[in-house]
Amino acid sequence: MVRVADHSAPAAGADGIARTPTGRLAIAARIATRSAAVVLLLVAWEIFARSGKVTPFMLPPFSAVVVRIYTDAITGVLWINLGLTLYRALAGFLIAAVAGIALGAAMSRLRPVRWFFDPIVSVGFPMPKIAFLPIVMLWLGVYDVSKIAMVVFDAIFPVVTATIAGLQAVDKELLWSARNMGAGERELMWQIALPAALPQILTGLQVALPIALIVAVIAEMAMGGYGLGGAMMGASRFADSRGVFAGIVEIAIVGYALIKGLAFIRARLLAWHQEAEERS
Amino acid sequence: MDDQAQIVIDGVTHTYRPAHGRAVLALSDVSLEVRAREFLALLGPSGCGKSTLLYLVGGFLPTEVGRILVEGRPVSAPGPDRGIVFQHFALFPWKTVRANVLYGLERQPLSRPEREQRAQAFIDLVGLGGFEESYPSQLSGGMRQRTALARTLAFDPSILLMDEPFGALDAQTRALMQTELLGIWRRTPKTVIFVTHDVQEAVYLADRVAVMSTRPGRIKTIVDTRFGDRNPSILRSKQFVEKVDEIWDLVRVEAIKAQEDTAP
Repeated sequence: MVRVADHSAPAAGADGIARTPTGRLAIAARIATRSAAVVLLLVAWEIFARSGKVTPFMLPPFSAVVVRIYTDAITGVLWINLGLTLYRALAGFLIAAVAGIALGAAMSRLRPVRWFFDPIVSVGFPMPKIAFLPIVMLWLGVYDVSKIAMVVFDAIFPVVTATIAGLQAVDKELLWSARNMGAGERELMWQIALPAALPQILTGLQVALPIALIVAVIAEMAMGGYGLGGAMMGASRFADSRGVFAGIVEIAIVGYALIKGLAFIRARLLAWHQEAEERS
Repeated sequence: MDDQAQIVIDGVTHTYRPAHGRAVLALSDVSLEVRAREFLALLGPSGCGKSTLLYLVGGFLPTEVGRILVEGRPVSAPGPDRGIVFQHFALFPWKTVRANVLYGLERQPLSRPEREQRAQAFIDLVGLGGFEESYPSQLSGGMRQRTALARTLAFDPSILLMDEPFGALDAQTRALMQTELLGIWRRTPKTVIFVTHDVQEAVYLADRVAVMSTRPGRIKTIVDTRFGDRNPSILRSKQFVEKVDEIWDLVRVEAIKAQEDTAP
């Protein structure tokens, strides 16, 4: 439940600071400190690759990889691969989100549904779903449908479990209050239980999103064709090490952007939540 | 049946069955009548079943043994004729103060402007004007309980069920809220069942105090606590202090018993 502790004086200070010039400087400094480790790693990569201890085939310099990404962007190959991977990951993620929340809600409300799915979820969650890849390829082929199916299959589990846990934790008094005011069963679920469980459901989605990207890339690697994963495998087969490393950098950026995007959506959706004030 | 009694509790026994662990007899053969527009306090040590009794009247728990009648009809489910206020406010944290108060009005046969107007009237009544667009997490404990009170009062229940409503507040806020509740109660007369373990609060607020014994809960005695004019100055009067002492003696025995019960 969201039985929030009484803090009548929210962190007003942090919000005020951001608007002053020194505040902006402080934020820039914070970003610099936080990204320092990544910058350091990239510099080390560049120096090591140019040191002569390794061949450019084994480790192309970071700058060469950047040039490669830039060329791919100009020719348009990058956007095709990126778009396809994003489409597969996000389509799978959205299906997993809707189906996962629906299944979680049904499981927490209806005894027969819980009886049937509870053991399946318990067994299926820790299982490496990627083992089903050959079967999915046999059944659904090697195109978008099978890749998206793999993503859904993997990403749905954290959504289901988070939804069940969130709905279970909804304060009884919140539901009683709503019933007191005349809310029916359907209203209780849509207007009270699901909004109250939203913080936990969003946490489940935040776990599911990187899984969706990982599985999309792996499925592409296994099935070939366009997409970031497929392009990396293709590059590897042709001994195109710059292409392989470009894929790594691209996936890292995409993953980071997706996570940040979802965190932003969370902050917007939970503006009412206590955590919105603690974050600043 | 006494035609003045709005709520009749007749031979109610309730067993609490937790999902794990053994069943506990929470209430044993409780009978009580509450008159219309009466302010009745249910007083007893924690774990005596006073909240359970309130939930039964509210229809949140099923009455298994005995019967509970509200205006002659047996209670079977929660209804807007019996508004409940909880100790921890039970506000919808994703709704603003205004939206919280509006929630109960949405299911009433009112036009939108009427609902808005009514919500505003009750927000003003509890002194929260200016905080309509605040979220519960931005309010102090006292303000949250005012919001909960406004939300419940707005759908105009004839009976107010209050479950230790000021138990989570600090002493000063609590004293303020008590006096304000009395003021609101005078302006919008309702039948109130007020659960508390605070003797002074019970004597100050209520017309009658029903003292409950510890597990299994029973009504031990009912003490008349009606004074002339209830205002904070009464708290220092001899009459008031004696009444509190008298009831304290009744409760003390039960509190000690309750402690022995829970001791390992």
